[in-house]
Amino acid sequence: MKINYVTPAGEAVTVNAELGESLMEAAVRNGVDGIVAACGGCLSCATCHAYIDEPWLSKIDPQSQTEKDMLDYASHVEPDSRLTCQVPVTAELEGVIVRTPPSQD
Amino acid sequence: MLKSETSPKHIPESVVFDFDIYGDDRLTDDLHASYETLHRDAPDVFWTPRNGGHWMITRYEDIMDVVRDPEHFSVREMQIPRVEDPPLFIPLSLDPPDNIPYRQALMPFFAPKTVRAMEPKIRQFAIEMIEAVEKRGECDFVDDISSQFPVSVFMELMGMPLERLREFRTQADAFFESRSDEDIAANFGKIVAIMTELIETRRAEPKDDLISKMTQFEINGRPISLGELQSICSILFLGGMDTVTNVSSYLFRHLAGDAALQDRLSEEPEKIKDFIEEGLRSFGVVNTPRLVTKDFERFGVPFRQGDMVLCMLPLGGRDDRKTKDPNKFDIDREKIDHVTFSSGPHLCLGHTLARLEMRILTEEWLKRIPSFRLKPGTMAHSRVGTVMALEQLPLEWSV
Repeated sequence: MKINYVTPAGEAVTVNAELGESLMEAAVRNGVDGIVAACGGCLSCATCHAYIDEPWLSKIDPQSQTEKDMLDYASHVEPDSRLTCQVPVTAELEGVIVRTPPSQD
Repeated sequence: MLKSETSPKHIPESVVFDFDIYGDDRLTDDLHASYETLHRDAPDVFWTPRNGGHWMITRYEDIMDVVRDPEHFSVREMQIPRVEDPPLFIPLSLDPPDNIPYRQALMPFFAPKTVRAMEPKIRQFAIEMIEAVEKRGECDFVDDISSQFPVSVFMELMGMPLERLREFRTQADAFFESRSDEDIAANFGKIVAIMTELIETRRAEPKDDLISKMTQFEINGRPISLGELQSICSILFLGGMDTVTNVSSYLFRHLAGDAALQDRLSEEPEKIKDFIEEGLRSFGVVNTPRLVTKDFERFGVPFRQGDMVLCMLPLGGRDDRKTKDPNKFDIDREKIDHVTFSSGPHLCLGHTLARLEMRILTEEWLKRIPSFRLKPGTMAHSRVGTVMALEQLPLEWSV
């Protein structure tokens, strides 16, 4: 599974992700700049925030209330913002573009 | 000290290394660099027979592994040596998923957006404290600045009366210096009493502060109890006291000894952010304990249920497998890796606030006192243990 990330510097990085891991885990495992994931994926830090482009955004399960609450307090939040620890890699996401925000703080 | 007298049977001799976290001969005035000699002299993961006997984890990746594995390494006991009735710190001494509702309730108050809104007030605190010493040409940075500033910021946010600053500070010191069960319990009790007074006051008469808002928290759909509030306030209190204070003190001691760096940061204040991050890497001050929950092997050593484990977070930042030339202070590093705020489910809730406080303190200090140095002939003694603190830092400058 190829996942395309765009770093805060605007650089495109493509990584091989495993089905079932999260977009955050795939990024961290491959050292992608811009996904900090300080809490390791337990939904308590909001530093794995990124923008998911269409058409992929619509294919992802909607946000839980907790993810919404956490995103409320993140920086640079847009309508296509998600916490990448909450988005599992599925076959439908083939070719997805995940853009990281200018910063996570 | 003979191994057979002091170490349990399951510990192989090859991983025993005698180290006293509460005061070891290896530790010098240059505390962090002297601690780093463990990377050279001791096994990556070792058992020290001191203080009841416990494991020490010294490498970045291993620390990361332990703090992100609550199934094997629990936070429910955080005292070394172990005590009979360990205090409950919510959410610090709760393993996931129990800690998560509390973290999520607290998170908004420490989130980047909230913290950014506090900046003008925090800046004002910094300016007042620096201006109070500026004309003197000297100060004890610990006593006059670093122990006052972050604590004042924190107390203001919580809604604690600032005139009780000294009392709070003294109580926090007493707690961190406690060794016996009785002292830990007595000092913790005093902190809880101070907190309870504040909670009751704010419950009766809410203000626009964190304690007032906390009294309205809902945890899993029910109102928060007084006991939970006491516990949360206590850990936020202790966390706000001894962390930013100590990192800032070590960082300013470094800066006082490097005139070129002072000049550079004055000329390029945008580099202060990197200076803070490199400072966090170089001068972590918290070692975080865990309790082993079951018998298993990892890192090539046998862990047994009930063993205590201490993650040396400051050593994670000085790990040469992660950071090239780790004892060199270099604000131009491409990437700065550390676990000073821990990681995983207990990642320091206040990390954004801590970074902001230190950045503002440095900015405002250098605007007023761009050139300063250590006062000659003074000692730099540290209090060591699970929290490491510089006891004093006499500085001087021309006025």
